[in-house]
Amino acid sequence: MRTAAWLCAVVLLALPLSTGAQERGVTADEVIIGTSMPLSGPAAYWGAVGRGMEAYARYLNDQGGIHGRRLRVVVRDDSYLPPRAAANVRELVERVGVFAIVGLIGTANAFAVRDYIVRNQVVWITPTADATMWYGFRDKKYLFVTYPSYVEEAKILVDYAARQLGAKSIAVFYQNDLYGQKGLLGAKQGAVRSRVRITAQVPYEVTQADVSSEAVKLRESRADAVLLYATPRHGALIVREMAKIGYTPKLLSSFTLGDPIMFTLAGEAWNGVISTGFFPLPGTGDSKVDEALAILTRVDPSLRTNPFNALAGWAFMEPFVEGLRRAGRELTKERFVTAMESIRNWDGQVIRGVTFGPDRRQGINRVFLTRAEGGRWTRLTDWISYPTGF
Amino acid sequence: MTLLLQYVANGLAAGSLYALVALGIVLLYRCSRVLNFAHGDLATLGVFFAFSGITRGWPYGLALLGGLAGAAAVSAAFYRLLIKPVRQATALSLVITTLGFALFLSGLMVWAWGTDTKVFPFPLSEVRVFRFGGVVVSELTAGSLAVGLVLVAGLSALVQRTRLGLAMRAVAQNPVAAQLLGVPAGQVLAATWAVAGALGAAAGMLLAPAVLLDPFMMLDPFLKGFAAAVLGGMDSLPGAVAGGLILGVAESVFAGYVSVKYKATLSFVVIVAVLLVRPEGLLGRPFHRRV
Repeated sequence: MRTAAWLCAVVLLALPLSTGAQERGVTADEVIIGTSMPLSGPAAYWGAVGRGMEAYARYLNDQGGIHGRRLRVVVRDDSYLPPRAAANVRELVERVGVFAIVGLIGTANAFAVRDYIVRNQVVWITPTADATMWYGFRDKKYLFVTYPSYVEEAKILVDYAARQLGAKSIAVFYQNDLYGQKGLLGAKQGAVRSRVRITAQVPYEVTQADVSSEAVKLRESRADAVLLYATPRHGALIVREMAKIGYTPKLLSSFTLGDPIMFTLAGEAWNGVISTGFFPLPGTGDSKVDEALAILTRVDPSLRTNPFNALAGWAFMEPFVEGLRRAGRELTKERFVTAMESIRNWDGQVIRGVTFGPDRRQGINRVFLTRAEGGRWTRLTDWISYPTGF
Repeated sequence: MTLLLQYVANGLAAGSLYALVALGIVLLYRCSRVLNFAHGDLATLGVFFAFSGITRGWPYGLALLGGLAGAAAVSAAFYRLLIKPVRQATALSLVITTLGFALFLSGLMVWAWGTDTKVFPFPLSEVRVFRFGGVVVSELTAGSLAVGLVLVAGLSALVQRTRLGLAMRAVAQNPVAAQLLGVPAGQVLAATWAVAGALGAAAGMLLAPAVLLDPFMMLDPFLKGFAAAVLGGMDSLPGAVAGGLILGVAESVFAGYVSVKYKATLSFVVIVAVLLVRPEGLLGRPFHRRV
């Protein structure tokens, strides 16, 4: 009887110990990660990032997962609407119980969920949002970002337009939300630095179908170069419209349009566009990226039509997976953070040159320039760095 | 002056498509008093049917006809299977039924065709242009304006000159009396839904080459078509056309000379203003209630 009582006591004591060590979203054989992105609505094209993440996870799982744990990616649709992103993140954290949020598309959406994620100390890897939203922001312990800053990128593009393309004036065609506005902000700052004039700021709404009057507005600005912060669809539409009305400025675009689909959507009009990149683009001679794409399309053949976003999904997940590897089998949030902080000049298969540290959460601070020609991207420059902001 | 004309030309091109969308909405509203919020998604479905036909190597014309017929069939089936059973319900329930169907259709399209933006092949080019003085109009724009006008004329002939049109008008005016006089109201309404579905798909096919094809392509044009219908008068077919063209031109000129940023807001301002000042719309009949 006494032995039985002792046994009971031991079991009771041990129970809270075993469950207490249990981290949210981590079980003996699984790590759950969540993300929110547009799977419907006008920006649904970008939802392929989620399928890329799932395909990458399935590929890792087929090889036995990370330290014996399989990765489960839970993707929620927000239609690119910030309120739905906020609801999704709450659900992912409180009901699904995810270990980390990876990605989360849209600057406005990331902005909408930022306070909640920070307050609840959720691990957040690479919100696909303008990185300047973290400048000066405290409480970033659980945040790790390997996504470029639109502001810094726009400055680099404007600088290139002024110095290499000889542009004296620049017009900006931008999406009327935080994504486009950050691009515009960078363009303005870049214009001051490079001494060029911004002659027109032409916004569009993401739901908008017809951009013909916007094209006329851009033509009337007579700018030497036009900078694009748009969805692939609107980017393609505006260059087609401009070509139609006989306006052929130098064209520069955010890396979000460094997507091979632009050649299909915009056709000839896309030739000569200068864009940035933050990972080597497929088909530009980087065998590791091409191999990653081959893996993704083997796992999920539907990704074949959307290689850029599929690889972006891989790129956003990759540092997280590296963190899991370094954290070891005993996975806790704190151990994970320490593991992430140990990443220095690390090259993944797709993302390159990632550095974190106890005071550094901006994993990459560089882009390169690339030029569209005849259905291919040609790399123009080496990496161009900008100051680390956080 | 050339600049103004360019804005007007762009506006007319967009407006002719708004008009086609508005026609479908008005046609249904006149006959069955249903505001069909699934109109845009039905139209997109028709375009996807045609797209599938083209990618499978069907002759081009046949694929387009297939798309139109597909949209017509789904629209008629929607009426028969869903709208008819709830027709006696409140207007709100009907609207919600159409909204639900819209969600179903967009989900179906995402599932079947994915969310990738697609190029809809079209015989007319968006880049080859005609020049009138300084005003540039693409082949595609000119073509869709022409096709749009032909479709409007065709619809007007159908409604005014044929027996089916007569039956449509009879059912619209008084369904019970029409039925008592031997008009098969159910069939006439199903036919009306089919025509409206095909019209929407036609608008979608003219729009897709210009704005690229994805399952959510008609989101904006549908709202604009709706605003055009309110502007022209919900029960007036010529009103729908006028409303579409006026809204298209107004938007384009507004973007050109007032604010490009608030261009998207204009159509909603139009809805509010029209409902406040002249709720029957430009060409609609004023509402009377007999005591």
